[in-house]
Amino acid sequence: MTEMTTDPTLIILVLAAGTLSVRLLGVVIGQGLPTEGAWARALNALPGCLIVSLVSVILASGGRREWIAGAIALGVAIPTRSLPLTMIAGIAAIWTLRHFGIAA
Amino acid sequence: MLPAFQHQFWLGLRDVSPLAIGVAVYGLAFGLLAAQAGMSELQVGAMGGLVFAGSSQIIAVERMTAGAGAAAAIIAGLALNLRLILITASIRDIYRGLPWWRVVLGAHFASDENWALLLARRARGQEAGYWYLVGAGAGLMVTWICASVAGVAFASAIPEPRALGMDFAFAAAFIAIMRSLWRGRTDLLPWAVSAVGVAALVMTETIAASWAIIIGGLVGAAVASIRAHD
Repeated sequence: MTEMTTDPTLIILVLAAGTLSVRLLGVVIGQGLPTEGAWARALNALPGCLIVSLVSVILASGGRREWIAGAIALGVAIPTRSLPLTMIAGIAAIWTLRHFGIAA
Repeated sequence: MLPAFQHQFWLGLRDVSPLAIGVAVYGLAFGLLAAQAGMSELQVGAMGGLVFAGSSQIIAVERMTAGAGAAAAIIAGLALNLRLILITASIRDIYRGLPWWRVVLGAHFASDENWALLLARRARGQEAGYWYLVGAGAGLMVTWICASVAGVAFASAIPEPRALGMDFAFAAAFIAIMRSLWRGRTDLLPWAVSAVGVAALVMTETIAASWAIIIGGLVGAAVASIRAHD
């Protein structure tokens, strides 16, 4: 069997066109939905639920250290509401846990 | 006094700067991977500007290096991007009534980070609209392109993001943004359903993580839709 050669330029162009279509599809779907009632409630709740899902995936695919660092980051986020402080706390926590071999 | 749209653009650029560090580290790592796939600096830079979706670029290039073929690489990348449908749909108000080229531009610049920053700013009761998204998106794109091209150029001298704890940068950023999106008790049930449902899907390895995010977001939103306002 000959070695599989995939042309990166082709992949870049198709992936770019596909990704833009996906983004535009969201705009079209969003414009078509009503601004009141159940659909609007769902769409208003969607951003928070998506972010929660994203965080949940990251933590669930990590180990105990990710859970601890996530809890520490949340502990900083709740009172401070600060993005940079939460990032510093989370990164420092995960680095410390890994570097000193805690909660492996 | 700056015109309003310029003011929003610069605000977006300013607010995205803490996230740019994380993006830069990932850009370097992506460049490293792309170099292994035999991609040139030009190809990597063009991919960053044209696709502008970090995780899908990483997975597509990873599939390429794994010898999976062009179709598999593209499908994997696009599957990861399906959540962008929900992202642009959820900020529908910023696209309303704009000429088509501005809709296309604003849609192209929408990514997880600047979308979440826009929502967080609004949750604090401050104005954030189209140019805020584009400003923060432009900051992300320039950082992403420069870092990934640098990653290709210096492929041999870069440490892994994990060794610096930087792989946790996005998790921590999303936790902070999640906090600012909390609207009160009405969010509790939808959020709990999303979080527990997604964790169960991922931990039991029922489906791939990118699908779990989409399902989690939709199920949480569905729960919110059937609850009457308190």
